[in-house]
Order: sequence, then C-alpha cells, then structure tokens
Amino acid sequence: MSDASRRRLLKELNQLQTESPPGIIIDKNSPDSDLKQWRIGVVGAKGTLYEGEVFTLQFTFGSQYPFSSPEVMFVGDTIPAHPHIYSNGHICLSILADDWTPALSVQSVCLSILSMLSSAREKKHPMDDAIYVRTCSKNPSKTRWWFHDDKV
Amino acid sequence: MEQKSEEPSSSSNENKKEEDSARFECNICLDTAKDAVVSMCGHLFCWPCLSQWLETRPERQLCPVCKSAIDSSKVVPIYGRGGDSTDPRKKIPPRPKGQRTEAPPQSFPGFQWGGGDGVGGGNVHFSFGIGIFPLSFVASWFNTPIAGFGANFGGGNENQQQQQNQPGTSAAPGSHQYQEEEYLANIFKYIGIFMLIWLLFV
Repeated sequence: MSDASRRRLLKELNQLQTESPPGIIIDKNSPDSDLKQWRIGVVGAKGTLYEGEVFTLQFTFGSQYPFSSPEVMFVGDTIPAHPHIYSNGHICLSILADDWTPALSVQSVCLSILSMLSSAREKKHPMDDAIYVRTCSKNPSKTRWWFHDDKV
Repeated sequence: MEQKSEEPSSSSNENKKEEDSARFECNICLDTAKDAVVSMCGHLFCWPCLSQWLETRPERQLCPVCKSAIDSSKVVPIYGRGGDSTDPRKKIPPRPKGQRTEAPPQSFPGFQWGGGDGVGGGNVHFSFGIGIFPLSFVASWFNTPIAGFGANFGGGNENQQQQQNQPGTSAAPGSHQYQEEEYLANIFKYIGIFMLIWLLFV
C-alpha cells in the first residue's frame, strides 16, 4: 500500500468513525492495521424491501487506490437477493468498475449500494446468477460488467 | 493549530479551521491541495493527483467530481500569496502554466475600414477579395505556399469561393482544361482590376 493511499484511507476512516451516515455501521477496530481490507455493515432503509436487514460489505483496496476502484462485495451469511447482486456477493454497479472516479469514497460507495437496495422492487438474484457464479473469477473487478439497467 | 487561547475556545477554533481547510481540499487525496489547479468546471485538485488520474485513463479524461470533459491544458493553476516556495516545474509532470490572452492589437486603419461589419463595409471587403482572388487561384494551382497567403489576404468570403473553384487535380499544361482555367483566371484578373479602378475613381 503506497503512502498516499494510506493517508487517504486513514482520512476516510476517521471521517466515517466520527460521523457515519445513517445505515452505515463501521466497527471501531474493523480494518486491519495495513488498512487493506475493511468490513462495513449496511442496514436496509426504512420503507424498503430490506428494512432493518443488516448486510456486510467487504472493501479491498489496491495500491493504486483511489485511482483504481476498490473491490467491493457482500460477504457473510446473508447476501441480499437483488437483481444486481449475485448470490456469491458480487455487485453489478458501474461506479465499482468503469465509472469509478477518485472523488468517490467508501462512504459514497456504501450510499450508492444502499440506494440500489432501496430501489429494488423484488427480492431476486439476477437472471444469469447460476451461470455467473459458476464461471466468474473470485475477484469481482476481473468481471467485464455490462451495465444495461439503470432503473434499479 | 493555535494553542494560545483557553481549552473550550481553542477546540472550537480548531473545528473552524478544519472547516475552512476543507474547502480547499483536493478532491482526490482529501488533503489541502498542493500545487493547486482548478478545472474549467470549478473543481480543485492537487496537480500531481489530477495528472495521475488523467494518466490512469488517457482515453476517457473526465473530471473526477462531475464527470465533465477535462483537459490538462485547460486547468488553471492557483497561486496563493507566499506559497509555492519551490518551482512546480521541477516536479514531474510540470503543472500547466496560467493562460494569458493578449488584448487584440490595434489593426491597420485601412483594413478596419474595409473589414467592418456594416453593410457598406461588407461591400468594400467583398470587392477587395475578388481583386486578390486570381492570385490565390493561380498560386494554389502551382502548389506553392503563396496559396495560403492569398487565402489569408482575401478574408472569409474569398476562402469559400476558393474552395468551390479550386480544381481537385491540377490540369496538365497545354491540355484543354489548362486553357480553360487560364481563361477563367484571366477573366477574374480583369474583373479584379476593373473593381480596383472602380473603387479608386467612383
């Protein structure tokens, strides 16, 4: 992890720990000392299909962060059933791939994912879930995503 | 941070200072911007941060904040008072220079009179263009650099005419087309001379 990445991650962590927005839970001693991998809880917003449910997001930062996007996926026992979330936790979200910019942050990614959850109209995995989960790489950033649905 | 005042006020001072500095934080490293540049869309970055981002994705240069198109030659450096003790150009890559546009120079009075926007002025301008036309016509035909000179001289109207009339391929000397073109050029020359005389005496 480069010095610049480390500094920026420390700043983000500080900000999240002092004032985390509603629906985002960060454990005081969550990231390990090298800050490479974080786990963040997200709580389904009120009035949505996922109200009150808690999911865990895992962020893995490369040495090029924030110039390259973090690798973000759902981990743990409960993976939300959502048209853009595969059952292995991979998330189909453009800002995690082509549309990433260094002005985005852990917080903005969490909020985007929460908003994506909130706008779901039915709890189900994507249509190609079975095939994708069997054939995909372990690392979601290795997938060439094809973004076609901007409604959910 | 200052630590002159008592405890409570000093902490509020710190908060205020933090808020103040947040307004001048680089959107990429989240530190106070060093070698600051601002994009045309108004977003502040450290020059090293922004240039690294532009190098990361050379085929899609977008502002990290608002995703508008961004160009390293069109960002404006910001010089605060007293800062910048080191020369930013020694760093790699160098920070772009500020852009300074010179005021338009006072042009030659005769041209000003001819090139005016009014109806009368436009008329004069047009006849001048015709007068010069055969020169550029013949010149471009022989493929000499004078062609550019002729086009510059004549102005906008004449440029269009040149494009329309310019032959796609130059005709071989002695051929039928060559004669025709020469004839045409002569006609234009006479019209030009006639116009000049008309200008001088009427």
